[in-house]
Amino acid sequence: MGNDILVLAQHQDGAVKKPTLECLSVARALAAATGGKVLAAALGPGAAKAAADLGAWGAASVLVGEGPALAKYSSLRWTRVLAGAVAKQKPAALLTSTSALSRDLAGRLAARINGVLASDCTKLSAAGGRFTLERPILAGRALVTASHGGDRPLVATLRPNVFGAEKPAQAGACATETLEVTEDAADLRVVVKEVATVKSERPELSEAAIVVSGGRSWGSADGFKPVFDLADALGAAPGASRAAVDAGYVPHSMQVGQTGKTVSPVLYIACGISGAIQHLAGMRTSKYIVAINNDPNAPIFKLADYGIVGDEFEVVPALTAEIKKLKEG
Amino acid sequence: MKIAVCVKQVPSTTAVIRVAADGSRLELAGVETVVGPYEEYALEEALKVREKNAGSTIVVVAVGGEEAGKALTHAYALGVDRAVLIQAPDADAAAAAACAAGFLKAEKPDLVFCGRQAIDDDQWLFPGALGEALDLPHVTAASTFELAGASATCKRRIEGGEEVIEVKLPAVISCEKGLNEPRVPTLKGRLNAKKMKVETKSPADVGVDAAKLAGGLKIERYAPPPEKSPGKRIEGKAAAEAAAELVKLLREEAKVI
Repeated sequence: MGNDILVLAQHQDGAVKKPTLECLSVARALAAATGGKVLAAALGPGAAKAAADLGAWGAASVLVGEGPALAKYSSLRWTRVLAGAVAKQKPAALLTSTSALSRDLAGRLAARINGVLASDCTKLSAAGGRFTLERPILAGRALVTASHGGDRPLVATLRPNVFGAEKPAQAGACATETLEVTEDAADLRVVVKEVATVKSERPELSEAAIVVSGGRSWGSADGFKPVFDLADALGAAPGASRAAVDAGYVPHSMQVGQTGKTVSPVLYIACGISGAIQHLAGMRTSKYIVAINNDPNAPIFKLADYGIVGDEFEVVPALTAEIKKLKEG
Repeated sequence: MKIAVCVKQVPSTTAVIRVAADGSRLELAGVETVVGPYEEYALEEALKVREKNAGSTIVVVAVGGEEAGKALTHAYALGVDRAVLIQAPDADAAAAAACAAGFLKAEKPDLVFCGRQAIDDDQWLFPGALGEALDLPHVTAASTFELAGASATCKRRIEGGEEVIEVKLPAVISCEKGLNEPRVPTLKGRLNAKKMKVETKSPADVGVDAAKLAGGLKIERYAPPPEKSPGKRIEGKAAAEAAAELVKLLREEAKVI
């Protein structure tokens, strides 16, 4: 095994996603400790286009896989192509961000390359030939620090928004290498037939810098409007508690918490959410937490950096008005 | 049709988790455990498939210690045909996948349902690793499942949308919330479960070298989530005034807007 760090880039038609830039920043720090290089792999349509950005963010070499065989994501094909790259490059670790894609791919890929998986890490460092990482377990009710060294590559997914993304002042030369992609009918045992994108001007919940969430107290789907209004005023992603989702006010895709999404934005605003342990699980690593609730004893206040004890039906629209005033002023 | 379900008994979602003072372990003795919520969707989907396909059988497998037996008793109470415990109390997710795969290789199921993640280690490792070990395709976090002959169609939520996935059987399907509404065992089912016997096997019985069960991540220590110092509270003020004060704090102190 070598000492390079390989980042699997996640991109949309060549536009590199921000959590991938965070992975590259972490990879640079790791490579400095292992004495290796930062490598990146980009697969699928637009991969070649992504390569320039990956180089600017510190990849010394980008492995590009494009063409009809990679036109659509397939866990089996991605696993096979990446396992080939790992066999050739022998990285000490493979990093990518926690996402729907990596949730699907990482377990299989780690098994294929005889790697050791650490999902959704919130810390990762290297020293003395070992990687040390921290990850939340039991939905954030505890943290575990674990280490890994030896012959098997580490496969780590990193929680978005936790590690900063810092662009190197000066990027070195970046080589591009084309990954050889062969067809194998066995890969087609599982295929993505179509992707239905929900057209939205709003940022994606799990990647958003600001999240505004509402609870069941909003009373109905229509009643949820003030939460959406505040989110839109802030350019934030709207979220919801499980109770609001189970009551049918908003879709499950908006649920934050143990049986929903884990978010870690810079700012999380909980509007009329009491803070059940399962909800806190999904947002407790947010950098700043704001709670707006009329119950001064709501558990959410224990996590809140700023709290307003008051009627959310009045405070949330007032906050929206205040933000709009600010943006217009 | 032969259906397999993999289950895990885990601390309940509301249980308070304590960490030993020296950080060496979690103090889980006496903590209430439940069948993993995602495994409940897996069990329900298996029951639905069996109902629609006459002659189908369901075998449920758990890898773990004595506590895991509770998940299997629950499965019997729901009416599954066979429950098997592979005794490996310290197995991590990768070891559990190896044990389950060892057992299922011989069983040759057409469908394997499991949860999208075990809600204790939160690794999301098991379904992909199991698929890999069995050389079967896997689908992660299926929120719908429709069987059509020798293949199935699933939907899976992704960032900003939804994928429609077609998978050929045999396959491993990990289950997401929303896939179905898990039934609760009937009284008759629970009484019946008491008469059913859970088969127990060792890792060696399913061809897994016990020495190889360890070897993944080395646990250094556990910690409770960091305590937060009490935040600032705005109380007893009119909505507009409170909102203005909050915005000022977010701008000038936190500098996040």
